Amino acid sequence: MGPLISCKDASRLISQMQDRSLTPGKRWLVRLHLLFCDACRHFERQLAILREAMLRYRG
Amino acid sequence: MPDNDVAAQIPTHRAYLLRVAMLQLRNNEAAEDVVQDTLIAALQGAAGFSGRSSVKTWLTGILKHKIVDAIRRKSREPAFAQLDDECQIEDFDALFDASGHWENPPADWGNPENDLSRQQFFDIMQFCLEKLPPNTARVFMMREVMELDGEEICKELTITSTNLWVILYRARMALRQCLEQHWFADPSRAG
Repeated sequence: MGPLISCKDASRLISQMQDRSLTPGKRWLVRLHLLFCDACRHFERQLAILREAMLRYRG
Repeated sequence: MPDNDVAAQIPTHRAYLLRVAMLQLRNNEAAEDVVQDTLIAALQGAAGFSGRSSVKTWLTGILKHKIVDAIRRKSREPAFAQLDDECQIEDFDALFDASGHWENPPADWGNPENDLSRQQFFDIMQFCLEKLPPNTARVFMMREVMELDGEEICKELTITSTNLWVILYRARMALRQCLEQHWFADPSRAG
């Protein structure tokens, strides 16, 4: 498996990380991707904000 | 009675409960029923409210059980037949170019503390939630508001975990795009 995954693949894995822990191999691929990708780092942060927003939505 | 304050607060959350129920049940009558059941159960149990959480959080917990019961009773309603339409991963192709890069890269939302303290933000959030496809909204609400874990949702809706990841991904992609477009990219939101 190549060391780099696309934003499309990374974004799917980042979403899954909100719901379950990934295998170490997949986690590594995501971390490596995030190192070089501003857009996916923003995406990861946005999902954290989205979760926080839903927490407050609920009260 | 010591629980008078709580009992008085319960009906003020009715509109919120109805919005949450509608996003999951997609049926006025069913949503109205679970909200009424929730309010009755809450009024009967107001004395048992511990005060450790907010009244709204407590009511959300009661609503969760009522919604799960309602879904169990109606798990063969027509809305579920279309679930497969919302599990197609190919739909996301438009969001990325041929090499898998974002067509519209997510922006830096900065520190959202100010945004998350404003009612207008949550009005936009409600707007974005209501634009989601029905089952996508249902699953997202079960996960994020009802706080069911993946396994529980799969069991209640009889879907595979792969479908669950796709649906939650779809919900998050759509919500982030909607919030970015209608809130975070809107310069007039500040202040």
